[in-house]
Amino acid sequence: MHKVSKPHAFITTLEGLQRLLDLFVKRGFTVYGPVLKGKSWVFSEIHSISEVDLNYTRSILPPKKLLLPPKSSIFSFKLNGGFEILESCDFKNVVLFGAHPCDLKAIEKLDGFLSLYPEDVCYKARRQGLFIVGLTCNVVDEHCFCSSLGIGPEASTGFDILITQIGENFLVESGSLKGLNILRELNFPEAKSEHLEAKMRHIEDLKSRFTKKADFKGLDKIAKSKLDHKVWLETAEKCLSCGNCSMVCPVCYCFDVYDSLDLTLKEGVRIMELDSCQLLEYAEVALGGNFRRDRYQRLRHWMLCKFGAAGGSTYTSCVGCGRCLVYCPAGIDLTEVARVLKGG
Amino acid sequence: MNPYIPRKAVIRSIRDETPDIKTFRIEFKDGGFSFKPGQFVMVSVLGVGESAISISSHPEDADKFIELSVRKVGNVTGSLFKLKPGSTVGIRGPFGNGWPIDKALGKDLLIVGGGCGQGALRPIILDVLRHRDRYGRVELLYGARTPQDLMFKYEHELWASVPEGCLMLTVDAVPPGVEWKHNVGVVTKLFEKTAIKPENGLVFICGPEIMMHFAVKGLMSMGFKGDQIYLSMERRMKCGIGKCGHCQIGGKYVCKDGPVFTYGDLAFEPDKIV
Repeated sequence: MHKVSKPHAFITTLEGLQRLLDLFVKRGFTVYGPVLKGKSWVFSEIHSISEVDLNYTRSILPPKKLLLPPKSSIFSFKLNGGFEILESCDFKNVVLFGAHPCDLKAIEKLDGFLSLYPEDVCYKARRQGLFIVGLTCNVVDEHCFCSSLGIGPEASTGFDILITQIGENFLVESGSLKGLNILRELNFPEAKSEHLEAKMRHIEDLKSRFTKKADFKGLDKIAKSKLDHKVWLETAEKCLSCGNCSMVCPVCYCFDVYDSLDLTLKEGVRIMELDSCQLLEYAEVALGGNFRRDRYQRLRHWMLCKFGAAGGSTYTSCVGCGRCLVYCPAGIDLTEVARVLKGG
Repeated sequence: MNPYIPRKAVIRSIRDETPDIKTFRIEFKDGGFSFKPGQFVMVSVLGVGESAISISSHPEDADKFIELSVRKVGNVTGSLFKLKPGSTVGIRGPFGNGWPIDKALGKDLLIVGGGCGQGALRPIILDVLRHRDRYGRVELLYGARTPQDLMFKYEHELWASVPEGCLMLTVDAVPPGVEWKHNVGVVTKLFEKTAIKPENGLVFICGPEIMMHFAVKGLMSMGFKGDQIYLSMERRMKCGIGKCGHCQIGGKYVCKDGPVFTYGDLAFEPDKIV
């Protein structure tokens, strides 16, 4: 992403956002935005701004589903005595419309992790085809804690365009050259200092509305020095090892790889499927050995990961989106474990 | 270049090592290959899957072939066992860091193997045989379940002939009727007989993690420090390139940061036996 030296800010209306969506569609992008389904929000294909709930809190699955699909093909192959490999990365030009600051940060982390040598070329292809429109939150709920982690509620990077609602109007800022080029085409009026000031007041107001606090500072080292703390066992008593936390986590990237043959047994696909370290099979080795056989070991591994102490380091540490708290059927709260470990 | 695409390789020959271990000699169809002792490859049987296997041959032969000593334990290794010379397999890699040869130059080397872990140690043993002057005293300690579970039996005489060195074999049990003139008991019992001292020694270990656990304990009590003891670790691996997450030991990726670690590197990581 090319950073522009000074973000260009424009002001528009809901009708202007519709023109923005129309321009994306005209350019051949498929646009995904937060749509209310039942009581939850889902990033779904949208054509009209009226489908988008600008007051959403969080989607069930994070936007990583557009970059790391739950299931994707690494390559297909033909068996002919030996084998022939047909390389393909399935991707299309996609707009992620309305990603909140926590999810923007998560994508930046995934970008960093998956571009480590050797780079995941299919991720890269999908990422290069992804145009990101961020949305400053309108609502902070009791599960949000990005503010404590210094990640939100103000996004400064990770978007091509950032939208902030100001009363009936929308402040639209560019975060990259391709974002600026799109905005210039729409001829929105330039934002005035009063609009930028209104945004800052909105951000300050959001900050004051966080009720959930989390202190993860230094927790990577603290948690690793307390591997025998009873909080792991006590929390694991409640855990169902369902893996929901990994599925909804915007930075959990772990995946399984397996082959699937079609009915002819002559052609098949090597599949990458998102996986969870909470599942028993995840760390199983040959002859039934398992280095994280106990539930508390799996829970501890996941939480160490979110505290930045697992193999993904800070690339996979928590962004404070609150999804794992909301979607844990046992009500396990990462921030509570953090609080106990920090002795607070 | 897509790091998930395997290269085509042909099985040239297959040797039976033990009732459940075979060594596959493999040639690449599309040019050369190079690796460091202790590195591994991901072996594909397309349609079945991929497994991480250490290379058991010497790097200097890699332009002609590599060898993979495989124990039959699951789907992919089971399928490999059904293949005949001439069959095609997929290979990705080499991956991982390998044994720290640079640090071992001029040092006394205690090489401790257990079971099929000996496969990952063989490149070092072959290096000692080919370049004897690179190392100080070299002792090979190798244990298996029974005499028939020892790999590379056809080379043991050669290994034992290394000047300024020795080969000590041990087994857990000797079945009735099997002739056995070496030791019986766990491999750590052989430590009593070693002449290698912590002052100028390094230890390379590969074997079941429980064996490495007791080996580390024994070595520490002999005065070896955590950074003199190198362990080749095994974990479930799906990608080999530090992405899929499966092989993590706490904050380490076995495939990328390892598979060879000093004990000191691992001492404070969770979810391990060693």
